[in-house]
Amino acid sequence: MSKYMINKLIRGIELSDATVQAYVADPPGFVTGWLAGGATQETRSDDRELTAEERAAFDTRDYAALYALGAHPYLLWHWVEAVYLHEATWPEMVERYRTAVTPIGWPDFVV
Amino acid sequence: MAELVLAAATPHNPLLWRTMVEPIPEDLLGVAGNFRAIADLIRELEVDLIVLVGSDHVRQFHSELSPAFVVGKAESYHGTWQNEARAFGMPYVEVTGHRELADAITGREMLTEAIDFAVSSEWRLDHGFILPMLYLTPDLDIPIVPIQVNSTLQPFPTPRRFAALGRHIADSIAAWDSPARVAVITSGHMSTEIGGPRQFLGGGSSDPDFDVEAVGWLADGDLDAAIAGCSYERVLASGNLSYQYVNVLTAFAAMGGAPADFAEATPSRYAPSPFFWWRKP
Repeated sequence: MSKYMINKLIRGIELSDATVQAYVADPPGFVTGWLAGGATQETRSDDRELTAEERAAFDTRDYAALYALGAHPYLLWHWVEAVYLHEATWPEMVERYRTAVTPIGWPDFVV
Repeated sequence: MAELVLAAATPHNPLLWRTMVEPIPEDLLGVAGNFRAIADLIRELEVDLIVLVGSDHVRQFHSELSPAFVVGKAESYHGTWQNEARAFGMPYVEVTGHRELADAITGREMLTEAIDFAVSSEWRLDHGFILPMLYLTPDLDIPIVPIQVNSTLQPFPTPRRFAALGRHIADSIAAWDSPARVAVITSGHMSTEIGGPRQFLGGGSSDPDFDVEAVGWLADGDLDAAIAGCSYERVLASGNLSYQYVNVLTAFAAMGGAPADFAEATPSRYAPSPFFWWRKP
């Protein structure tokens, strides 16, 4: 399990409009492309790897699972906004998110 | 010699950008008025340069490389990231830097012994820096030296280091051979949670007791109590993003730990917002 890699992919999706759109259109396809797109031996380090559990959470946009796995909560919430607000209002997402993460409490999110 | 004429601390909540617009909603009148009061002080005190102390939100600096304190040495900075334009409607901007003051703070060939700064010649500023500027200097006509303080990605500098940073900034300004009139502005939060169970409580604080104490330290001019009260455990217990409150200790220490002229956790629909300021005694 790598909280760093979870945060890296969350950030890799959320920072740009193009990546948000590509991920929302096809989450598993986007994740496959991301995992294959890291650096070569000759270029600046850019490792990309996910466990099966992490991969499943990204494939299904499962924010509760990512929260429990130790995603940075600030990054995670803004990722949720980016990948869900086309299908729910902001107040709805705030409440859905709160309902999902409250039973989990405050996992250790220090990388 | 240059003169430190003003220190202030503001919120940088980017959700204000879409909502705090004319006519200002009643629950945001206090926040808007306090931004305006600091903007007026900047003009009244004829501030030439601003040292802007804020926290990046895992945009420019993430766990690939996460320095504690970074001083910007660029001639100018791009501001606002695409996700901030999308989520908050913030504008893309260009902000003028000030190399000479940046060198006065860090040293040019050798670093100061006070702080082992990282330096940056290219850095896109996020809302931790741009949001306060848009309210305090809407024409972006006063050059800045941005200083990133890491309050977002653990491990954080201790509160004592934020105070040391403030004292060092004040000393650097006092020793700088320039007629400039300088303000130190920090941005941050009161107790705040984002992405956890206590986020967006409809105007309520995630820890009202912490907020009362945190305003009191500055109103009373008790820097030692502020440092002691900002233990990692206590601050994080108040909210998972509350460490950005600690940024204010830099402004507080830059003013020698004097009681703030104004100290308030201003209510709003989001959460209480930090507003503090000090004219030079």
